[in-house]
Amino acid sequence: MVEQICFNTVLLDSAKEIFSTMVFMDLVEITEPDVKIDRALLGSITFKGGLEGCLGICCDVQCARAIAVNMLGMDSDSELTEEGTCDAIGEIVNMIMGGVKSRILKDVGNLEVSIPSVVSGNNLNSLEHKSIRVTIPINIDDKYAAELSLLYRESI
Amino acid sequence: MSKSLMIVDDSATMRKIIMRTVRMSGLEFERTEEAGNGAEAIEKLKTAPVDLVLCDVNMPEMSGLEMVKKIRTELKICEGTKIIMVSTESSQELIDGVIADGANGFITKPFTPEKFQEKLTPFMN
Repeated sequence: MVEQICFNTVLLDSAKEIFSTMVFMDLVEITEPDVKIDRALLGSITFKGGLEGCLGICCDVQCARAIAVNMLGMDSDSELTEEGTCDAIGEIVNMIMGGVKSRILKDVGNLEVSIPSVVSGNNLNSLEHKSIRVTIPINIDDKYAAELSLLYRESI
Repeated sequence: MSKSLMIVDDSATMRKIIMRTVRMSGLEFERTEEAGNGAEAIEKLKTAPVDLVLCDVNMPEMSGLEMVKKIRTELKICEGTKIIMVSTESSQELIDGVIADGANGFITKPFTPEKFQEKLTPFMN
């Protein structure tokens, strides 16, 4: 059943839904990616069950702050703290994971999901071999480059 | 009749978003409280019960599921308190389980002001 799931579509649809309803920003997949992310924030969440893996969103600090400002309905980012920015990215990844989980529930069964974490960095290497990685370069509000990623494997 | 509300979520950002969405839904509360997890919520509820609790499921220290059980079995003072879970979790098994434990409703993330209005209005009178 897992082979029949198009994880690219599942991940992108979930992210689009979250960005349109909770962040009020447009999100589109970039077909010819030129993603250069400096001073990145990586929000990630792990899951286990019929599938195990990690879902993440990586974007630069400026993009993360724009996301947080929009989520919170703030006029500017002048009062936004680093903690608030990380908290917002954690919530984003948590909600995208929720959307992925509900979309694949009937195929893989329930997944147990961790509490999200946000760190500075660019790489995601926490799973061993036999994992499959889905990476979607995206553009947010036609302004910010970011990247969605889903690293997974069938439970051993 | 004026109502009171408590939002329980480990994310301060999500608490603000929920509060904003409640306001956008047109529902008004005379008093609003916040808590970062189930244990903190219970401590606050012991001395100042509220009419309505909006509660996340996955939280450190004490989850929303544990909190619901504890309120329904140990907190006589909150007998009339309605508890609505707000979570990205959406499996029917989980929803049925927490309703059986005493929650009064379930809202899945992402949510809209309209969804809040639909789910909360029945408890406003």
